[in-house]
Amino acid sequence: MTAKPHSALIIVGHGSTVNADSSAPTFDHAAEIARRGVFGEVYCAFWKEEPSLRQVLHMVEANDIYVVPNFISEGYFTRTVIPRELELSGPVTQRDGRTIKYCEPVGNHPRMTELLLRRAAEVAPGVPPEKTSLFIVGHGTDLNENSAVAAKREVQNIAARGVYAEVLNAYMEEDPLIAKWDEHAAQPNVVIVPFFISDGLHSYEDIPVLLGIATESGGAASATDKEIFRHNPYQLRGRSLYYASSIGTEPLFADVILEQVAAFDAVHAATVSA
Amino acid sequence: MMSHLSQAFAEWMAGGGREIGEIHIEPVEGGFVLSHRDDVSRTDVMAFSGAEAARDLAHFDEHGKFRPLKTAPNLRRGWKLHLADPGELRRALDYFYPAMLGVWLSQQRGRLVTVSLRDTLARQTGMYAVTKKITDAQAQTMIGSFCRTDGGCLKRILWPIAPGEPVTSLPAEKFQTEAPADTLPLLCHEACNLLVARARQVVKRAEASA
Repeated sequence: MTAKPHSALIIVGHGSTVNADSSAPTFDHAAEIARRGVFGEVYCAFWKEEPSLRQVLHMVEANDIYVVPNFISEGYFTRTVIPRELELSGPVTQRDGRTIKYCEPVGNHPRMTELLLRRAAEVAPGVPPEKTSLFIVGHGTDLNENSAVAAKREVQNIAARGVYAEVLNAYMEEDPLIAKWDEHAAQPNVVIVPFFISDGLHSYEDIPVLLGIATESGGAASATDKEIFRHNPYQLRGRSLYYASSIGTEPLFADVILEQVAAFDAVHAATVSA
Repeated sequence: MMSHLSQAFAEWMAGGGREIGEIHIEPVEGGFVLSHRDDVSRTDVMAFSGAEAARDLAHFDEHGKFRPLKTAPNLRRGWKLHLADPGELRRALDYFYPAMLGVWLSQQRGRLVTVSLRDTLARQTGMYAVTKKITDAQAQTMIGSFCRTDGGCLKRILWPIAPGEPVTSLPAEKFQTEAPADTLPLLCHEACNLLVARARQVVKRAEASA
């Protein structure tokens, strides 16, 4: 991507008032992009943390502003909450001498497939993929989100590459249930990648409990629960199980954020002069 | 070229500016040293350097508990942070008090638009749509508790409950934008999501007990 020294980038995350790690990947990706010096200014903004979506534009000095949602899929937040809170009128908003360019969420980018494959290979080094069942785990039941649709799309994309013996969707709260992983998986090795933007109670505890590799802490899960990712493989139900951290913690997300900016420019080049 | 914000902040520092929220800024040879304002004269503190260290210092309180509201009066003590230049200083302050420098400059320039609580609640959708039902009396009580400076939030409130209907449940100084020359005020131009979430609790509890 060409450098944009006169533009600002705002990476929008959901954030949390209870999970200290929710905003971490968004801050990490912003710090990495700032380090590369691609943009004149780089900021984060959050729905549930600070700076909020209502505050962040006061931090920005550039008149050319890109907004990239650090969300796994399009849905309620990318279509309703973020545009409303930032007072956006569409992909391009002109206001007070500023141009705000609203990009696609990171999870929509075609490179997600590559990132999932990379994470799966990293978590199970030396394990032959032709003898491995790979699960992409989503939440399920998200009423207004399309994360399940995005997860299914990624499973199809990965399966089409023919690297893994089988590639499967599973969910926490709807069929196919991740709790029944051993019934769904036919291979001796099983790799599990949570399709979430950050680590938190779901990846630290809920999914591990459903997999059978942890017990419920009664809400005591904390940053120390990263331990769950450090004991692979788990020998369980006659298989070798490898459990990865949420895909959104992958450092290459910083590249995908920049590629969503480039993709925006490619689509809107005719209507916006930078 | 120095940005408007960096320039305005440098001028504030040159005019004797030293305090933001619970942070004390000390200009030193080779940069700046930040500390908790109650730790300025302490020497038995842990030394950190670089703006990124501010992220963790701001993220957890004294007991290691997550601080979702960075302007809550529970910044941990027992540290000092060395920052090499004005750029690092600004990045660190953006971690300690996100957006507060920018909001301050907007206010200085007369460009800060305040939003009444009613307008903030009126645009909520989804699980927060119910917050529109909060009564004025419930809102006063909620703000008087949730936003209070001692134990709640250090920001000065600039918004009313509705036009012509100010918040009356907190002392007058909570609504003043003026600050001593050495202090940069933390300004709240619109109710935060934490207060909106609290409003939802208030409405839900009232409905449950009705």
